[in-house]
Amino acid sequence: MTRETTSASPSVASPRAGRFGPALGVGLIWLFLALFLVYPLARILYDAFSDDAGRLTLGNFVEFARDRFYLRSLVNSLLLGLGTVAATSVLGFAVAFLLVRFDFVGRNLFSYLTLIPIISPPLVGVLGFTFIMGRAGTVNVLLEDWFGLARPVNFVYGLHGVLLVETLHLFPMITLNVVDALAKIDPALEEAAESVGARGWTKLVTITLPLTTPGYVAGALLVFIWTFSDFATPLVLGVHDLLASQAYLNIVQFVDRRLFRMGIVISALMVALAVVFLIAARRYVAIKDYSSLSYSKVPRRRLSPLGQAGAVAFLSALMLLSFVPYLGVALASVGRGWSLTPFPVRYTFLYFERVIVETPKYIVNSFLYSGLAVALCIVVGVPIAWILARTRVPGRDTLDGLNTLILAIPGTAIGIAYVRAFHFELPGLGWALTSLWIVLPLVLAIRRLPYTVRGSYASLLLVHRSMEEAAASVGARGWRSFSDITLPLIWRGVLVGSLFSFMTSLQEASAVLFLSLGGWETITVGIFSFYIAGSANEAAALGVILIVVAAVSVIVINRIAGTRMGGMFG
Amino acid sequence: MRHSAALALAALLVAGASGTALGQAPIEGELALITPVSKFIHDAALKAFADYAKEKWNVALKVSAIPAGTPVAYGRIVEWKGRPDADIFWGGESALFEKLAGQKLLQKVEISREAWDSIPASIGKPRPIPLKDKDGFWVGTALEPYGLVYHPKKIQRLGLAEPREWDDLLNPKLKGEVAQCAPTRSSSSNATYEVILSMHGEDKGWEWLRKLAANTGFFTARSRDVPTVVAKGEYSAGFAVPSYMAFEEKLAGFELKFVAPKNAFVTPEPMAILAGARNPKAARAFIEFLLSERGQRVFMERGLFPITPRYRVQGAPGSTAEMAVEFTGGVRSYFEREVANVYDEDVAQKRSEALKQKFRADIEATWKKP
Repeated sequence: MTRETTSASPSVASPRAGRFGPALGVGLIWLFLALFLVYPLARILYDAFSDDAGRLTLGNFVEFARDRFYLRSLVNSLLLGLGTVAATSVLGFAVAFLLVRFDFVGRNLFSYLTLIPIISPPLVGVLGFTFIMGRAGTVNVLLEDWFGLARPVNFVYGLHGVLLVETLHLFPMITLNVVDALAKIDPALEEAAESVGARGWTKLVTITLPLTTPGYVAGALLVFIWTFSDFATPLVLGVHDLLASQAYLNIVQFVDRRLFRMGIVISALMVALAVVFLIAARRYVAIKDYSSLSYSKVPRRRLSPLGQAGAVAFLSALMLLSFVPYLGVALASVGRGWSLTPFPVRYTFLYFERVIVETPKYIVNSFLYSGLAVALCIVVGVPIAWILARTRVPGRDTLDGLNTLILAIPGTAIGIAYVRAFHFELPGLGWALTSLWIVLPLVLAIRRLPYTVRGSYASLLLVHRSMEEAAASVGARGWRSFSDITLPLIWRGVLVGSLFSFMTSLQEASAVLFLSLGGWETITVGIFSFYIAGSANEAAALGVILIVVAAVSVIVINRIAGTRMGGMFG
Repeated sequence: MRHSAALALAALLVAGASGTALGQAPIEGELALITPVSKFIHDAALKAFADYAKEKWNVALKVSAIPAGTPVAYGRIVEWKGRPDADIFWGGESALFEKLAGQKLLQKVEISREAWDSIPASIGKPRPIPLKDKDGFWVGTALEPYGLVYHPKKIQRLGLAEPREWDDLLNPKLKGEVAQCAPTRSSSSNATYEVILSMHGEDKGWEWLRKLAANTGFFTARSRDVPTVVAKGEYSAGFAVPSYMAFEEKLAGFELKFVAPKNAFVTPEPMAILAGARNPKAARAFIEFLLSERGQRVFMERGLFPITPRYRVQGAPGSTAEMAVEFTGGVRSYFEREVANVYDEDVAQKRSEALKQKFRADIEATWKKP
């Protein structure tokens, strides 16, 4: 370390303080991002704007615009995204308000339960839904058996079903962000509003809502992007006229080169749209200024017995619906030959045995890759957080922008971008990066980097610089100051961010699916391949395992971080 | 063939020589497949072969498979450009194998003459279905019809007789109750669309398919999903389902039933060794194993039929082999009966693009959920 040279700057890790080491570090971080984020995305955009011979052209987009089916898919995707944002907003706000502003029986329990829907793993969540709400699901079977219903009610197959599933899955994103924002509102502001006569709706509309806007917009954007880029849910529900479905279906059929290219074009379009939305909302989604992170102690209003009953009934109904997928998955993981009965009639542990005993590779791989990914997230992400929070290195805004961009880019697009970008033989090695399993932890690390960065960043802002300065004044600088003073103070944030990265890495499917080769299967890839192989039961058993792991992670995160989780998504 | 026999002999001599000199195993330690054939079958085949390799050569073989729909598998092989991440491509339309061979992405199978000759050149009338490639780039492994499936309880509730023929799927009472996969995504669907077009001629054939679409409540993402949604009872009947996929649901405890109507396409589940495969010896040994009685039994116990007249599906009463016979309507071997076939590979290959485009324009783009 060359940091010993005293610098005039009060900042311990100002770029001027170091000479060579820090510059090298910053350079490596940039190299990492350029290589594994910027280059693949540039590659997929290039693909979209060129023909088979590599000539630049707009022809692909003209073709897209001329195809009525694609246009319909685009419109449907936008409508679905907006619809989901609207529906999750209503639910998310209502839940957040109840939890932050009121006190009622079971409030703590509900504040934990409302997080659970978000950990629903890809594919099995919606499968679970069809087991309960499908045409032959529990609800329809009961309706037919008890009320003599002649034809099943179609709850889920169609766009309305996608909307329902996505809404129940994603409303906690809004809740988390709004809870976070609500908890930070200085009560004095609302008191001031009341003192000039603004109560009830007026206060809500003029003071409270505007103050929660940044958190809300960030959450809404994520809900939109998530819905926009999810292909598993619509495919299970038989909805193909959506952009994400088309991207997936066109790409997984390689035979028709034209369709394949259109799949890439659609993916590029999704990246471009994500960037546009991100820019539109950039005021709100850039890494947050946590200077007001001090949570205000908001007095909760105790609800009247009737109000309590109403709140509990509303939350219970919502939770019941949100837990439908879990119930379905749990039943399917132990039910044998379950058809046209409300619940399975024969039970077995065979499916768990198969996935745990016969093919433990799914679980081993998932933990190995996610673990490596998180290690990478920490190695790259904590320094990024440090740069953002403590330095004035040029390009900070770009770094922040890239980090936020990752949140907005559909996993499908990243997966495809990697296939396109890294499927060439590395000089001297004789193998392409896509032929080595290391590509999986790499793509996971990139995908989940923002959580580690945000968790660490938030904690860094909470550590007042004066502490590090005090350390410096007694001679502890650079690494010493970081390890003795800063690290003990920020480890929680790093841990929370990393756990979040870990949990979401375990859940990642879309990017990994395109890159996985025989022997590298993770739990989510296993879920997909069992599902593809027609073994919904084994898929469900793996799903249950994933849900349990995620639920434990959430409990741990919740314990460490309290309500601070909101900052992670926004 | 003389050429390949000579090569095989040479290979044998070399293997023998090095075997004695270095104590080297006759096959590599790994084998990887890329295949649309479902896990139910490919896992069993790989496991049986690994056991065999252990017994015969004391080789602890590491086997793996990349499950992929036929189009995906084909696409990945093309993308690999002769540096494949798998050794063997298994299943799907033989036309695609010819296309791969044309791009020099396959190597000749070169199995023992005896194994090769045990497979008849073709089956079916009036159009023959080839069971092995005349140029030696692929070989059939097992026979299976693409038929239709139904849920007896659901059919009964709708007040229908159990379907026997393709036309039974057009019954107005089945409106919204049929599940099928798109021919753009599934080779079984593509082949069965082709059968319908060959049976009725282009115009009437498409009219028939549009009627089927009008009865269709669900276009699945993959052909394998069709028997799944019918077995569960989500839909009442399914179109263009490989027999073993339906049988797998039956074994899983569902009440699903299967019929192979007249002219149902019978596929030989072709297998080929990829050019540049890292484990060519293991690949070759795998194919020979599958064609042996022990290998064929793996198929016969899972709703598939032998590729050679040497064997027929037979087992102790109550065995899965007997269950399979009952499930597929009493068939024990496709060589003991007339196989009606109208699917013409040349016509199919020429029409392939047009069929998919017409499907996209006439059916996919206009289909409304009933």
